[in-house]
Amino acid sequence: MARVQLEHVTKQYGEETAVDDISLEIEDGEFVTFVGPSGCGKSTTMETVAGLTQPTEGRVYIGEDDVTTLAPKDRGVAMVFQNIALFPHMDVFDNISFGLRLRTYDDAEIERRVEQAADIVQLEGMLDRMPGEMSGGQQQRVGIARAIVRNPDVFLMDEPLANLDAKLRVHMRTELQRLHRELGATIIYVTHDQAEAMTMSNRIAVLNKGRLQQIAPPLVCYNEPTNLFVAGFIGSPSMNFVEGNVIEGGLETNNFTVDFDPSQIPGVTVGDDVTLGVRPEDVHLVRYADSLASSTDPIDARSDVLEPMGDEIFVYLLLSDAETGSMDQDPATSPNQLLMSVTPDTAIEAGQDVDIVLDRSKIHLFDTATGEALVHGLTDRSEQEPGTTPTEADS
Amino acid sequence: MTDDTPPDRSDRAEQSAESDPGNHDAAATEEVPAHWHHARRMTDGGQPAKEGDVLIGEESDEEAVLDRGPFERWASKAIKNPERAYKSMFYTATIFFLLTTLFPFYWLLMVALTPEGRQQDIILTPNGFNPGAFIEVFEVLPFHWYMFNSFVIATASTVIVLVIGSLAGYAFGRLDFRGKLPMMLLVLVISFFPPAAFFIPLNDLFNTSVFLLEPITGDGTLYNTPGAMVLPLSAIFMPLAIFILTTFYAQIPEGLEDAARVEGTTRLGALFRVIIPLSAPGVATAGVLTFIAVYNEFFFSFLMTDGQPENWAPLLEGILGYQGQYEVLYHLMAASSIIGVIPVAILVVVAQEKIVSGLTAGGLKE
Repeated sequence: MARVQLEHVTKQYGEETAVDDISLEIEDGEFVTFVGPSGCGKSTTMETVAGLTQPTEGRVYIGEDDVTTLAPKDRGVAMVFQNIALFPHMDVFDNISFGLRLRTYDDAEIERRVEQAADIVQLEGMLDRMPGEMSGGQQQRVGIARAIVRNPDVFLMDEPLANLDAKLRVHMRTELQRLHRELGATIIYVTHDQAEAMTMSNRIAVLNKGRLQQIAPPLVCYNEPTNLFVAGFIGSPSMNFVEGNVIEGGLETNNFTVDFDPSQIPGVTVGDDVTLGVRPEDVHLVRYADSLASSTDPIDARSDVLEPMGDEIFVYLLLSDAETGSMDQDPATSPNQLLMSVTPDTAIEAGQDVDIVLDRSKIHLFDTATGEALVHGLTDRSEQEPGTTPTEADS
Repeated sequence: MTDDTPPDRSDRAEQSAESDPGNHDAAATEEVPAHWHHARRMTDGGQPAKEGDVLIGEESDEEAVLDRGPFERWASKAIKNPERAYKSMFYTATIFFLLTTLFPFYWLLMVALTPEGRQQDIILTPNGFNPGAFIEVFEVLPFHWYMFNSFVIATASTVIVLVIGSLAGYAFGRLDFRGKLPMMLLVLVISFFPPAAFFIPLNDLFNTSVFLLEPITGDGTLYNTPGAMVLPLSAIFMPLAIFILTTFYAQIPEGLEDAARVEGTTRLGALFRVIIPLSAPGVATAGVLTFIAVYNEFFFSFLMTDGQPENWAPLLEGILGYQGQYEVLYHLMAASSIIGVIPVAILVVVAQEKIVSGLTAGGLKE
């Protein structure tokens, strides 16, 4: 087991920069997930840790050793692949023991360790099967057994569950968490599925366009995103963003104003372009305003489309008639639309006029130009003090 | 015949009525001027009609089946049911190719079995029966020695081609590097050169004494050593192997190689432990094609040694060895040819499944 450190790692393919100056440190025994949209550089970053890709610049450390130029086999890492990558011409036993045999362990030791690994991933009795005869979930378990059998310092998992069906994915997710607990290993996990990232990791590293946006525990990423990208990427459905302008005494947008004292928030001055972000679950019907510690003034809206999900209903709200049903604007970023999530027993219909309020303590403000977060949560109007999100869930 | 029958039809009907009055309805004969018969005949064949001629188009007025021969009946069935035609075409082609490929072997066998001096006028059966030729072959010349030489040369060339071709195939199929396409094209272009073009410089080179080779070959030249054939033949048959292997290696998923490398192999280790085993049909195809090509090669094999078996002369020299200055032992040449073909025939039979799947899989790269 070992810690992993990346120092200013950059990877360029010709003119294309896949990874742009990433520095981060992963503690011994930590489960860190790299998450981001396709092509954000998360897999490339992992490959520089594995040694499959040489960084153009920067250094990689595993434990105390600089491994930047070492071959993959000498780094003490094991990897689980998205396409599983079992050797199709070998049976399960040979697949799992491949690395051990290359390192010339004696036969008894190989047998003992393969059986132990097969035990952990519940593959007993399947050691003589060929990969082609197994289901996707079983194959991925063989892939995991192949990784754990060598007892590596660091596990690298590159979207290991992406090719599995939804039910199996949830099951394997819990198995991986159990595995992490049992082995106490350092795990770097790459995924574009934020549910996997949120549920399994100690910390999430959010990447976009090759740059590290934020590395923090999942709920910190959720509640205190450092910028617009993280705010929009973490959370499903995405956070609502409303562009506005700071005026004396608050933020003015197309359709509503939110009161606060700009002088109390560092980095905000009157006249700035500021984007307000609020998650769907922090948009409430006005009749529930009393249950909130602090809410905005009521905002006129009309429900446009309802999406009943069973455990909640997503309500697409139009704030202005002018933009009714505009198709060319993403509801998450349109200044005239908001997405609200309500409990399934809420009486609401499509095309109904409703008044809504926002939970002031869950409002995020971002600098529109740079995307950087300015403040998470506006305080009670009576206090007029800036604050950060009072979440207790931060771990 | 009806009244609205076109004039030319009634014209012919009338003509046939003249030639064979009993069969035709004379009532159909209208007042057609006599010279029309003549004119009509001119358009048909250019010859004036004579009494008793059967005119073209005559049969179509009859019930067709009645006076058709067996071939015409077969043709009409084939038109109704094209499967028959295709099947007969298939058998014709198959028999043709079997004859052209196998008949020479049959004849070779007949020549081999015919005793010495009676080789004239062998058509389908041997003039006599002398299976002893297959033993005599080894008594007159050390033919097994020539075969061994050929076998060693072909095996060595195959090994060299597969090893170097694998490395080249790996680079071309799996790596991205500057100049990859020009290099592949260069390999392709060189493979188009006639091998004979290389002969004179190579022969000169192999007859030049090289100090470094002295401990190995004695006089320091490659002439009269297997190297003189293995080197050029490997090079000549390398491009084909490179192309086959490139196609195969390119199809092995990236992840498998990455997995092998993370598990503890080098890039080369991944090539030999994972990529090559998974490309077995391609490797077998390239190997068998190379082996056969080198084993059958004439030009370099003929010219790079002095023809003595102890100087690594191949099979070919053995076969030609039965051709003396004053007599040609045709039956021994035939027998030795058959013996020489056997190893290749066995190889093809054993490997044919792999070769077929290898050749087609290579062509079907997605």
